[in-house]
Amino acid sequence: MLEMEAVQQRGFRNVYKDGQCIGFQIAYRSTYYRGISLSLSKGFRVLVDGEQFPREAITVTYEGETYTQDELAKAGHVQWNLDEPVMLNIAKPGGLKLGVRVVTVNWSHRISYIGSMPGVPEQTPAAEAGGPGPTGGTQEFGGGNCTRKLVLVR
Amino acid sequence: MKMTRKEFLQGAAAVAGAVALPGTAASAPLAPQRGMDEGFPASERKGPKRGVSIYSYEHEFNVSATLEDCLSELSDLATPGTKIGLEVLANAHIKNYPNPSAAWIDDWYKMLALYDIIPVEYGHWVDTKLYSETKTIDTKEGVEMLIADIKLASRLGFTRARTKVGMQGGATMMTQTPADNFFDIIKGALETAQKHNVRMLTEIHSPTPLKGATMDKYMDFITKENTNPWFALNIDFSVFQTKMAPRPGGQQAPPAGGQASHAPSWMGKLPLAVPDDMIPLIPYIHCCHSKFNDMTDDCEETTIPYPEVIKVLVDHGYNGYMMSEYEGMDKLQGGAWPAVRKQHVMLKRLLGEA
Repeated sequence: MLEMEAVQQRGFRNVYKDGQCIGFQIAYRSTYYRGISLSLSKGFRVLVDGEQFPREAITVTYEGETYTQDELAKAGHVQWNLDEPVMLNIAKPGGLKLGVRVVTVNWSHRISYIGSMPGVPEQTPAAEAGGPGPTGGTQEFGGGNCTRKLVLVR
Repeated sequence: MKMTRKEFLQGAAAVAGAVALPGTAASAPLAPQRGMDEGFPASERKGPKRGVSIYSYEHEFNVSATLEDCLSELSDLATPGTKIGLEVLANAHIKNYPNPSAAWIDDWYKMLALYDIIPVEYGHWVDTKLYSETKTIDTKEGVEMLIADIKLASRLGFTRARTKVGMQGGATMMTQTPADNFFDIIKGALETAQKHNVRMLTEIHSPTPLKGATMDKYMDFITKENTNPWFALNIDFSVFQTKMAPRPGGQQAPPAGGQASHAPSWMGKLPLAVPDDMIPLIPYIHCCHSKFNDMTDDCEETTIPYPEVIKVLVDHGYNGYMMSEYEGMDKLQGGAWPAVRKQHVMLKRLLGEA
C-alpha cells in the first residue's frame, strides 16, 4: 500500500554511482483521482530545506524507464497508474545530509476536459514550501505543492 | 467449512449460481446482448436503480482500500436479491490499464459475482491535451483511444461509458465548450459502440446548465446525427445544487477556491438547473451521477433537492442507474464510507425500497 501523502517517505534516500553520492531520490504518488498519460505532466519541481532544484536536475523513473522532463512530455502512450509511484531522481553532488529534511515536490498536469484558463503556467513553477491539506496543494484541479518532513537514513 | 474471501479468489471453487464469465481468456469482446432493455436483462425491475462510483473512495484507494475492499463495501448497499450498480474510472481502478491481464479479468468477474454487483458505467477520458494545452490531438488518435476504451469496457461487462472528450475556451469555466474535434472523435466510434453494446454518454456537470449553448451543441449533434443511445447523456446532479457544502464542523464553505471546492464565481447563480429541466431529456439519459456533498444523520442531503430529482426520474420513466459520487468536504478524513451509506438509505426511502 502507499502512504496517503503525495510525497512518500518510503523510497527517500541518497543515490550513489561508482561509490560517489550523486544526488537523492524521492518517491511520489499521484493523488489525482485517475491515472494519466505521462505526457500530460507539466513537470516536477523539488525544494529541500530551502534549496530549489531546477527542472533540468530532475529525472523521472517509472516502471523501469527513466525520462528527462522533456522526454516525459512526449510519453503519450505510457500510463502512470495510481498504484505505482514515480521515482524522482535529483542531481546533487554529495547528496543530502542524514536526518530530518523538509521536502516539497510541486507537480501539475494538463486537464483536457476543462477549457484553458488564462494565467495558468504551461510548466510546473518552482516548488513552494507549505500547501494546504495532507496530500498537498489542489491536486484534483491540476496539481500543487506537497511538503513533508522526511527522515533520511542512507 | 465457510470459504474465506481469500480462498475464493484463489480459485478454490466457483460460487454456486455464479454468473457466466463472458469476455475472459480470449481477447474477444463481450457479444452484443440482443433483446435487452437498455442494455440490462429484460427481467430487470423498472424505475431508477442505485449504484456507486468508487471514485467516491478516491482518497483511500491504494492507501487503505483495495479494489476488492471497495466492491465489498458496495455489497452492503445492495437490496437482497438484486444487484448494486458499479462505476469505475478506467485509469484508476483497472490494474495495468489499458492492458489488464486475463487473470485480473477472471478475478474481476469473480468479485462481481461475490459482491452482488452489476457493472454499469466505465468512466474514461479522451485526453485531447495529451501533448499540448492549446493544440488538440488528431481526430484519428482520439478515435483510436476511444475505440480501445469501448472494447475494454465491453470486455469488463459495462454497457455505458462516461466519455469525457476535451473542452476548450474558458475565460471562465462557464464559457467552456466542446473542443473543435470533439464530435468528429465521437462519430468515429459510434459503430464500435453499437457493436459492443456500450453507450457513450457525455456528462452534463456543473458549471454546464441543462439549458444553454453547450447543451444545444450536444442535442443538435445527437438529434441531427441520430446517435441516441450510442452517444447520449449522463446527468450529474451537481447541476441541481442549491448551495455549497458545509465544511467539517458545519460552517458553510466560502465561495472561492480551496481544497475540494468546485466553487468559482458562478456560485452566485445557483442552481444551474431544476429537476423539471430533465423531463424532455429523459429519452436521452442512460445513466446519472447521483452527486452529493453532505448527508445528515437523518440521511438527508443538504445541498441538492433529492426528493424532487428522484420524483422526476420515477414519474417520467427513467429506468437506468444512478451512480453515487461523493464530493463532501470530509473525504480526506474517511468521510466517504458513511456518506455513501447514508445516501443509499435516503435513496432506498425515496424509491420505496425501505
